[in-house]
Amino acid sequence: MLIGIDVGGTTTDAVVVDGNKVVKTAYVPTDHDNLLKCLLLALDELVQGIDTGKIERVVLSTTLITNMIAEGKTDPVALVLIPGPGTNPKDYALGESIILDGAIDFRGKEIDRLKESQIKEAAAQIRGQGLSRVAVVGKFCQRNHAHELKVGEILAFALPGSKIELGHKVSGQLNFPRRAATTMLTAATIDSYERFAKDVARALKERKISAPVYILKADGGTLPLDKSVQMPVETIFSGPAASIMGVLALTKPGESCVVVDIGGTTTDLALILSGKPLLSAKGARVGSLLTQVRAFAVKSVAIGGDSAVAVSSQGCDPSTKSCCGSLAVGPHRDGAPLCMGGYGPTPTDALRVLGLTQIGDAAKAEKAMQIVAQGLGCTAMQAAQTVIDAVVDKIVFEINEMFREWEQEPAYRIWEIMKKETLSARSVVGVGGGAPPLVPLVAARLGAAAIVPEYAPVANAIGAAVARPTLTLNLHIDTEKGEFSVAEDGLMGRVTDQKMTPEDAERLARRLLAERAALLGIGEYASEAEVTYSEVFNMIRGWSTVGKLMDVRMEIPAGLLPSWGRC
Amino acid sequence: MSSQGKSGKTGLIFFPAFDWAISPTHPEREERLLYTRDQIFEEGLMDLPQIEEYKPRLAGEKDVARAHFCVPDVGSQVTEAHLIAAGSTLTLADALEKGEIRNGFALVRPPGHHSMRVVHGNRGFCNINNMAILVEYLRTKYGHKRIAVIDTDVHHGDGTQDIFWHDPDVLCLSFHQDGHTLYPGSGFVNEMGGPQALARTLNVPLPPGTTDEGIHYVLDNLILPILKEFKPDLILNSAGQDNHYTDPLANMRFSANGYARLNEKLAPDLCVLEGGYAVETALPYVNTGIIQAMAGLDYSHVKEPDYVPGRFVQTPGMARDIEHTVAQVQNIWEQRDELTKDALERLGDFYRRKRRVFYDTDMINENQEEVVRLCPDCAGYMTINTSAQRGYGILNSAFCVSIPRKACSSCRDDAREEYAEHVDDKRVGYVLMQDKDKDKFKFYNNMTRTERGY
Repeated sequence: MLIGIDVGGTTTDAVVVDGNKVVKTAYVPTDHDNLLKCLLLALDELVQGIDTGKIERVVLSTTLITNMIAEGKTDPVALVLIPGPGTNPKDYALGESIILDGAIDFRGKEIDRLKESQIKEAAAQIRGQGLSRVAVVGKFCQRNHAHELKVGEILAFALPGSKIELGHKVSGQLNFPRRAATTMLTAATIDSYERFAKDVARALKERKISAPVYILKADGGTLPLDKSVQMPVETIFSGPAASIMGVLALTKPGESCVVVDIGGTTTDLALILSGKPLLSAKGARVGSLLTQVRAFAVKSVAIGGDSAVAVSSQGCDPSTKSCCGSLAVGPHRDGAPLCMGGYGPTPTDALRVLGLTQIGDAAKAEKAMQIVAQGLGCTAMQAAQTVIDAVVDKIVFEINEMFREWEQEPAYRIWEIMKKETLSARSVVGVGGGAPPLVPLVAARLGAAAIVPEYAPVANAIGAAVARPTLTLNLHIDTEKGEFSVAEDGLMGRVTDQKMTPEDAERLARRLLAERAALLGIGEYASEAEVTYSEVFNMIRGWSTVGKLMDVRMEIPAGLLPSWGRC
Repeated sequence: MSSQGKSGKTGLIFFPAFDWAISPTHPEREERLLYTRDQIFEEGLMDLPQIEEYKPRLAGEKDVARAHFCVPDVGSQVTEAHLIAAGSTLTLADALEKGEIRNGFALVRPPGHHSMRVVHGNRGFCNINNMAILVEYLRTKYGHKRIAVIDTDVHHGDGTQDIFWHDPDVLCLSFHQDGHTLYPGSGFVNEMGGPQALARTLNVPLPPGTTDEGIHYVLDNLILPILKEFKPDLILNSAGQDNHYTDPLANMRFSANGYARLNEKLAPDLCVLEGGYAVETALPYVNTGIIQAMAGLDYSHVKEPDYVPGRFVQTPGMARDIEHTVAQVQNIWEQRDELTKDALERLGDFYRRKRRVFYDTDMINENQEEVVRLCPDCAGYMTINTSAQRGYGILNSAFCVSIPRKACSSCRDDAREEYAEHVDDKRVGYVLMQDKDKDKFKFYNNMTRTERGY
């Protein structure tokens, strides 16, 4: 039996899955001040009458880190940058930072030395500010760790008891400002996350649940809880990831579809292309910061069942009987729908009037639409239709934008540009409370099939329960220097074969990925890894080849456990 | 209007053609923009709010035909890589015209500024002229009249010069290392355009070893004042990066900072990458600097690892040399109206020139006779009789006819007649017609007796 728990924005959903069956579900309202408590409440309700000895795996998806960052409750961090030549660090929206001399270039060559006295001054400055968490990030540090290591060492010595995160250990993908932001967020959340992980482990032990516990990452993959403490930021946005994995679990394999998660105030949109959820190209945006966190591309649209409906009747000709005022739905929420005890009209009231939903009080919904109708100069029924049309318009527009953005994603090779096809949605899959009445309307407008799966309200928890681990490894090889480096954990080593072929590089990547998977406790999935990108450049100096630069990306993509043999 | 003072983003297309090379060890190979990619990606430039990255598109064959007579046709002279590089410039042109961006940089390869009006093959690493295709597109689609092309590559932009030789509305100004010392061996002060467009082609040959100081002297004292007088709708920069002091194919001493400052002052509406072959030591820094300058970002932190300010000092002799050249070109520019008047008075109804063009990359020798009608009512139609040889065999021959924008009816009729006369004339392989006025293009094959059009 597998357990999936998604601590979401409004409710915490939990399921027990046995093979390909959902055995039990539970919901509790989310208490933002005590996420652990509501997680455990949901768990306790769920396992009542269930033999905890039969639980094979528990997967959590939590808004803990998302909330901490959104609410500004992260720990203060000193950011130390070694930017070298290029952009003025002030042009990055990274906040205050300490800038050090020293530089590494794209080949990993040291082009400017560190100044030890400057590092010591930095330590004194950090001490003076009373900070005990430091993020040290250098440009191109992933191609040569020496500067970050040295700075880390000096700071650790000068600031005993402080925690120092180094950029190359957080991410090795090209993009210095994103790496700096990700490292900073790691340093800012790592302690709280560690406490949370320990509390969860203890609580499960108290409940005699000895099954391994996993956390769901933003890329829809699971990671053992005890390993995830090294990378707390990866768990951000695990809620949307859970929903998307849920859709993957509840629809036919290999499908292309739009995932529409309609909530009270926001609608989350995502794309699954040929069975693969689309990832955001360079990493997730977290508040105002751009990071390198691998995450599904999720577009949040400020519209939902509880969005406030406002009307202005300017330019309205009372002689015509049709709706003519202008209408705005969202982006804010004034409260619950009028039909459910709120104060103003909402799309939910409109759905009630149109008979598309049975929730709430019919008379109050009618009253809500009367208010709109007055402004528009039409009947309540027409007003309700206008409101729903506006909601559907907005969602359809954003879905089309998402496809357009995907098509317009830059490409750097001829074949990438030549093969890129134009895609449109075959089906629209709805999850979340607002989905059942609206998704068929959205799908009809897109000429696609509407799918609202049986377990749509707990799709997120199912997604968490049956998601398998993911792992990515980016290997960079420079045969002229005789060196390789792994972007994800900063591992470096020697290569001796100057005549290495792409096949040799892929073999090396596979071995390194297997080692990394074992280290992260997901070794049994290493064989699922596939090469998703491979490039080779001959380095020519004068007219002869002096070496090769090779890059291989290997990944265990987001997927479902084999035991989930649905559909 | 130049981009200075306009608000908005800088559009960027990065198309390094990582799967295209002239040959594996050629300077124009896959690796050329690899370290530039590493640098600009690591800088996170595409994420900055001042910069908007665009995806390239393929230029259409018609877009190419507007600028070139490709013999026998467009398809046989281009690969997909060429169409993408040219198409990138058009994507940025559209974004600029729609007001999405205030300026843009097509950081693309393969380059184009050595491709002339007639194309039989690759010369100077170029098959089709991205810049000329962009200019013709801007004029046809958006109706721009006056455009200035400033060629800042170390090599003379002879292809662009050839395409706009007779066009008084396109100012082609190229500064470059002296043609006595560098490919393509042209670009001297006395090359100043056809009789109707004298001084709308300007060349500034510079001595090998010219530094930041020398190039900025040319910019401040010649280029910027001329632009002020010419008042172009748009300023375009053929942005080669081989004036850099580490370039392996040339001998100048320009720095990344010098390039950034040049683009800040010039404030081009669109930049198109041309050459530049110091793949590790120059390109990452120069490109970063140009992008920053165009986006209004601080570029003072861009510095080559081995560069120290004051590293290169201009000798008094070199300064005198450059000042002398600048004065000569200034003089030509100031006399532009008299020069044109004199030339037209001396010439009859037609202007003819015969010449040979060598395609160094493809080892092709071309013989051309170009005839332009000096029409009092319009720009005059043009014909080019061209024949290309490779080794001892004739490669291709063609008779090309071009009808200018706003052609008068007599030029239009005569041009049509010229085309009709050469159709089925066995002495030439192909007959090509470029009707810029109607934006229609024809290719007639005299061997198969078939016609195609775009």
